[in-house]
Amino acid sequence: MSTITNPETKALPEQRSFPVKRFNWIRFVSYVILGLFALVYLGPLMMLVITSLKTMPEFMKSATALPSGLHFQNFIDAWQRANFLRYMTNTLLYTVSATVAYVVMAVFVAFPISRGYVKGASWLLTLYVIALFLPVALIPQFQLMLSLGLYNNPFGYVMLFLVNPIGIVILVNYIKTLPIELDEAAAMDGCGYFRFVTSIVFPLIQPAIATIAVLHAIGIWNELILPTIYLTNKDYYPITRGMIVFQGVYGSDWPTLAAAVLIMTLPMLLLFLVLQRYIVSGLTAGAVKG
Amino acid sequence: MHNYHFGRGRARWAPYLLLLPGFFFYVLIMLGPSLATAVYSFTDASGIQGSQLNWIGFENYREFLFMGQASIDNYGALWRTLVFSFFVTTIQFSLGLFLALLVNQRLIGVNIFRTIFFMPVILGAVIQGLIWSLFLYPLGGPLATMLAPFGIRSEFLGGQPSVAIAWVIFVQIWANLGVTMMIFIAGLQTIPNDLYESARIDGASGWQAFRHVTWPLLTPSVNTNLLLNIIGSLQAWQLFLVLIGYRNGTQVLGYLIFAQGFGQTSGSVTSAFRQGYAASASIVLFFIVLAIGLPVQYFLQQREKRVLG
Repeated sequence: MSTITNPETKALPEQRSFPVKRFNWIRFVSYVILGLFALVYLGPLMMLVITSLKTMPEFMKSATALPSGLHFQNFIDAWQRANFLRYMTNTLLYTVSATVAYVVMAVFVAFPISRGYVKGASWLLTLYVIALFLPVALIPQFQLMLSLGLYNNPFGYVMLFLVNPIGIVILVNYIKTLPIELDEAAAMDGCGYFRFVTSIVFPLIQPAIATIAVLHAIGIWNELILPTIYLTNKDYYPITRGMIVFQGVYGSDWPTLAAAVLIMTLPMLLLFLVLQRYIVSGLTAGAVKG
Repeated sequence: MHNYHFGRGRARWAPYLLLLPGFFFYVLIMLGPSLATAVYSFTDASGIQGSQLNWIGFENYREFLFMGQASIDNYGALWRTLVFSFFVTTIQFSLGLFLALLVNQRLIGVNIFRTIFFMPVILGAVIQGLIWSLFLYPLGGPLATMLAPFGIRSEFLGGQPSVAIAWVIFVQIWANLGVTMMIFIAGLQTIPNDLYESARIDGASGWQAFRHVTWPLLTPSVNTNLLLNIIGSLQAWQLFLVLIGYRNGTQVLGYLIFAQGFGQTSGSVTSAFRQGYAASASIVLFFIVLAIGLPVQYFLQQREKRVLG
């Protein structure tokens, strides 16, 4: 059978029950290719783990050899030297507060646009869609933050993340799948607009909310440019900025640096494995709709 | 207006009032500044608090495009942006499609492979950059050690500009291939299986099935991926920052904007903020995105009409 076909082919189980099976070359080659790609993806990560467990002399002697023992001291060093607790806490605060505020505002923007409850709804939606093409906002944004006195200010920094046009587009598309009869029935029972959105729409669009929340949170967590521009006080640094500074100081101490990178990576990797479904559906949501 | 159900009179204002905060921040933080970039490009804005702002007409553009060595460097950055975008788009698009076809088969463990290929997307530029900086560490780093027995020696990211840029292209594709692949997978899964069944009954080979069933029906994902890849790669520059830093002969336009606007740091010396100049560079980049993005978008839409009717 052709290997291009979709997984749901019924012929496969029957074929399996044949006692003598022809060697499936296509399947074999597929695995080989996938294995090679996986090596390019996991290899550098494995190197990171190996390096983080080495002592500096060991690394100097051979970068690729396995460590002689599990040298966890690097992790302790990295944690203490890099002021990670502070940076992690900052990142967490920025990410959570901005994501929550953004999601709540986004639903109140997307719902009336999707339903046509405000004048010029489609025009508004276009304003959000064109954001992809527009020039970089960095310069005037900086001038604005300066004049508002929000430079080097954690609240100003969070304010920069109250916007994400893609999230609006995802929500608008998702809300379209809710039947309009819902609105009619609720209104008939005397439910007001605010209460309808908060207690009926919010629970019904939870999958889309999870998607945009996760996408937005990842963006904030990984942001490097904005903290570089706006935060000069070390106490306000998020983890990304802290990491770059740490690299500047300990750039050649690869074992400690590798341990630091792993400390920063692990929360994201775990979160990713748990929330993979939402992340993927969010990134591909636009593809099907076009 | 449209049959609004939740009351009249003052109650009719509820959706407007509740929409306002979100829209306000969008205009304040993104839309407004984005459009104001054009205005700033005609000024000598510096980015120093309380400094005078003067209207200087097309001076920034003149300097950017027609003034001696600086503009020659700018054309270099522009050219590198196009080269970078071309290689990233073509390779990421083809590899993404290829991998999507592979992991969309009925094989044991394909989900694990999907997860692996998608993983770098969530790690972000800093971690992506540091992972590869370690791997490509020229003085006895992993890749250098592996290549040494073959007599191959390279400075990788610290070497010739063309070598360094090639590695950034590689890491950029490594980092974002998962998104392209996932979008293709989503497209592949919308293709009904019956079509492949009947193609097989008609005696179509694997290639013919791809050419006449998969490829045309994949058009929406093809369009999304091409457009996202082109625009994304024209504007991308963070990996240049993390992997190479600001080095002559390697910058792309996006990095140049940042460096001019917020000071390029070499060693411990940070140059002046030239935000008006940086704004004019942003507008140049914007026009490049339009000049490439709009025709591509038009062509793709025409093709979609032809293919999908």
